[in-house]
Amino acid sequence: MNDIKNQTIEKPEEPEIATPEKKEKYRMRLSDKIIAAVLAVFFICIFYIVLDANKYRATVRIAPGEGIVGINPSTASLDFGDLSRGASAVRRVALKNGTNLSMYVAILKIGSISDLVDISKNNFKLKPRSEEKIEFTVFVPASAEIDKTYSGRVYLFKIPIF
Amino acid sequence: MATNKKYLSWFIYFAGLAILIFALPKLLSLGLRTPSPMAAITSGSMWPVLKQGDLIFIQGIGAKDLKIGDVVVYRNQINNTFTIHRIAKLEKEFITTKGDANFQEDPPVRYEDIVGRALTLSNKPLRLPYLGSITMLASGLK
Repeated sequence: MNDIKNQTIEKPEEPEIATPEKKEKYRMRLSDKIIAAVLAVFFICIFYIVLDANKYRATVRIAPGEGIVGINPSTASLDFGDLSRGASAVRRVALKNGTNLSMYVAILKIGSISDLVDISKNNFKLKPRSEEKIEFTVFVPASAEIDKTYSGRVYLFKIPIF
Repeated sequence: MATNKKYLSWFIYFAGLAILIFALPKLLSLGLRTPSPMAAITSGSMWPVLKQGDLIFIQGIGAKDLKIGDVVVYRNQINNTFTIHRIAKLEKEFITTKGDANFQEDPPVRYEDIVGRALTLSNKPLRLPYLGSITMLASGLK
């Protein structure tokens, strides 16, 4: 019998298994955190301003003839009705600031009607607890297409000033 | 060596850009045969062909080449400004123009007051939207 105690038993070599390198966990630096926070606040502010904006649909139909002014009792939208070339119509929007903060008001008009609409007041400061009436005037030029409906949207942005 | 090459390429890029910016008006002036090759639209009198804030190109033109319907630029003697309107009538000594969006014709214009004709593309004046506003803003800042 062999003396097992004194014998050194060689272990079979274990095959090396390639272990995937541990991914280094990305840690935000303080400056990154500050930038992220500022951007987050900025986007929340923009989101709020856009969401809070007064939105109006604006339309005008060009009627044949002269001196035709359509009547539209609706106040929910800036519908100027039917207008003939050379005619104009005015719609008013009352803007109320019920907060204790001043608001910067900016009006944006888009669409085919935007070239025809004139705004009485734009890019102004609205004082706290005050009201302002804004007039939207449409004038139909000589080159407007008869029977065409010019439409678009008007956005009224209110940006709080701290 | 690689860094020098990089700097050289940046230098060439900026030099090219500067030449382009400063030489463009001169080149346009030569190509379009007019001392005022560009104009910004400041009113809606030519709506919808030309809109406020557009930038248009002007080409020099001889009096005999003018025809009714051309959009021309002329020096307004009353207030010493430029006006861009369409030719409505051609007479022996005067031209009558009218803005497309206007209801009335302009006062007669002398042939020598015509600066040029709007450069057209497919029979429509070539316009660069909003670029006119930028040039107006830039000239206001000077």
